[in-house]
Amino acid sequence: MTSTKKINKKDVAKLLGQWSQEFTVFVPSRDEGVARWARWDGKDAGFLDWYRNTVVPPKAIFLPPMEKMFGFQKDGKDYHLELPASDKPKWLIFGVRPCDAKALAILDMTFSDAYEDPYYLAKRKQGVLIGLGCTNPYDSCFCTSLDSSPTDPTNVDLMLTDIGDEFLAEAITDKGKELIAKTGLAQTATKADEARAKKVKQAASSKVARKIDTRGIGEKLLSCFEDKDYWEKIAAKCISCGICTFLCPTCYCFDINDELVRNRGGRFRSWDSCSFPIYTKMPMENPRLEKWRRLRQKVCHKYEFYPMNFGVIACTGCGRCIRLCPVNWDIAQTLAHLPQPQLKLEK
Amino acid sequence: MNHKDMEQKLRREARALLEQGKVGCIIGFEAGSLKFTTTPLITSEPDATSRLVINPFIVNNLSVFLTEVKGRVGVVVKGCDSRSLVSLMQDNKVARDDVVILGIPCSGIIDLGKVEKLVGKDRDEIDDINRDGDRVVVTVDGSKKEFPISEVLFDNCLGCEFPTPQEYDILLGEPTLPPSDKYQAASLARIKQLKDMPATQRWEFWKSEFDRCIRCYACRNICPACFCQRCFVEESEPTWVLPVPRWQDNLMFQVIRNIHVAGRCTDCGECERACPVNIPLRSLTREMYNLVDELFHYKSGMDKDASPFLAAYEATDTEDFIR
Repeated sequence: MTSTKKINKKDVAKLLGQWSQEFTVFVPSRDEGVARWARWDGKDAGFLDWYRNTVVPPKAIFLPPMEKMFGFQKDGKDYHLELPASDKPKWLIFGVRPCDAKALAILDMTFSDAYEDPYYLAKRKQGVLIGLGCTNPYDSCFCTSLDSSPTDPTNVDLMLTDIGDEFLAEAITDKGKELIAKTGLAQTATKADEARAKKVKQAASSKVARKIDTRGIGEKLLSCFEDKDYWEKIAAKCISCGICTFLCPTCYCFDINDELVRNRGGRFRSWDSCSFPIYTKMPMENPRLEKWRRLRQKVCHKYEFYPMNFGVIACTGCGRCIRLCPVNWDIAQTLAHLPQPQLKLEK
Repeated sequence: MNHKDMEQKLRREARALLEQGKVGCIIGFEAGSLKFTTTPLITSEPDATSRLVINPFIVNNLSVFLTEVKGRVGVVVKGCDSRSLVSLMQDNKVARDDVVILGIPCSGIIDLGKVEKLVGKDRDEIDDINRDGDRVVVTVDGSKKEFPISEVLFDNCLGCEFPTPQEYDILLGEPTLPPSDKYQAASLARIKQLKDMPATQRWEFWKSEFDRCIRCYACRNICPACFCQRCFVEESEPTWVLPVPRWQDNLMFQVIRNIHVAGRCTDCGECERACPVNIPLRSLTREMYNLVDELFHYKSGMDKDASPFLAAYEATDTEDFIR
């Protein structure tokens, strides 16, 4: 006997029903023709039949594409602020993939660094992540090259692994332990269940065929930073849209805009992207007017600057930027063909 | 001529153009990094021309790159792409002498989204997709399934009026005829469905579609007709539309974009294909294309010497204000 639990797949809808009593439950949905996170409709767990990953990552729940920070009213020369309600809803995200859970842990570093971002952090603190290991990764996935795996339980509260008719359920945090203790739907897993889960995990990892070599990647990028020819060449086919950044689970840049209509207004923050020329536009100049500079920024931010600041590569190998790119720009190819340093600086 | 023969001819011609110094660079397609995908190849190296491909997955409208590259360029175009290119010439964005046009008589491009739905598998789970005349054979888990092209080609391809490039220097195969009229209905099915809705329902439909828009601007950036250096959405003095992705702002952006590309849009379908959240943008652009045709008897990108649609008027135009 072990302390690990298991949950029958047939009971998932019941489980979601229980959790709905306490949380707002999000599950993968493709009701509108595209896989996104949506509030559970209270019906069934049909998504288990098709779900591999969502197009829009769970980042969108914590850092929404658009968020009203506060409203305001102009009264003569004064402004009266209308702050958002302080009672934060309790959220439970069911079925988060390990790559996306790791991405949230990466976002946490930025949003709780020099400045603690109340909007993002309040949602994160209230949020529960139920992880679901991949058994069928995409051909664009490369999480195993980034210190993770399709069944990595590190960044979730409760991790589920598909072992056939059941999910093996491993409680990772206290929140996870509490959830599994409270439900009457979990049974104790046997040694055979655990052995099966181990096999499933190994099989899933071996299905991730795409590899990148991250050894010394920061130094390599530093040494070819000024190699305009290379960056121009790899950026030639990029159309500078925001797909790869907006739908990247670790990209967090945002823009802030005020809107004032007849003395009433609001301050909104919305996703922004270093792919856009206007992102760095300043009154006199634009340091990243050419698209190769913008693309270089994206690659270097993920693989050079973020590791310098936070000690982790800001890419989890989810593969969205590759499979969603309308011109098939492929970051793995860019990283694989970085020019070798031509000169060694004399000491 | 089949794709393989056209591909061989393209590689020879492209190599010769570069080697003889007739162009500084070639813009074509090469195999993509994922199954059943292609990717733009923009190269000045003669040896790279051996990577050029022509197959039923050459989705991109490569004329979009012509406003960026410098010097004389060889560009590979399908029927719709050639019209986008002609339209760019009409707007003085590209000079005829600066391009060598390698034309593909196009028999339609396969919509992977449709294939995925038909077989219930994702692109990377499909073993093989083969075009065989009016049918497409899809192999999944070792078993073959056949579909008529009406179920598999992009909607815009089914309604294509001019599959053979309108303007070219080298035609890579024999001219092709448009798809038979029987495919027109499939091409316009979604638009008809929308037109048949009561206005309030149609409004709710678009409201919900644009609620999903994330304002990534892939539709605008992939579009050869959207060549403005400064897009109205990026203006802040005054602000026409906030960059905040609310459905109202998203809808305004798309409606204005659609009006801006009226008479330039050639129904290449790239906006809809590029959209990561599946907004049926072609239902707007194709409807505009049809309206321009019906009301002004104008088809985009057919004559490089014609005035641009939005810059032309005649004394016989219906509206009084022009006289």
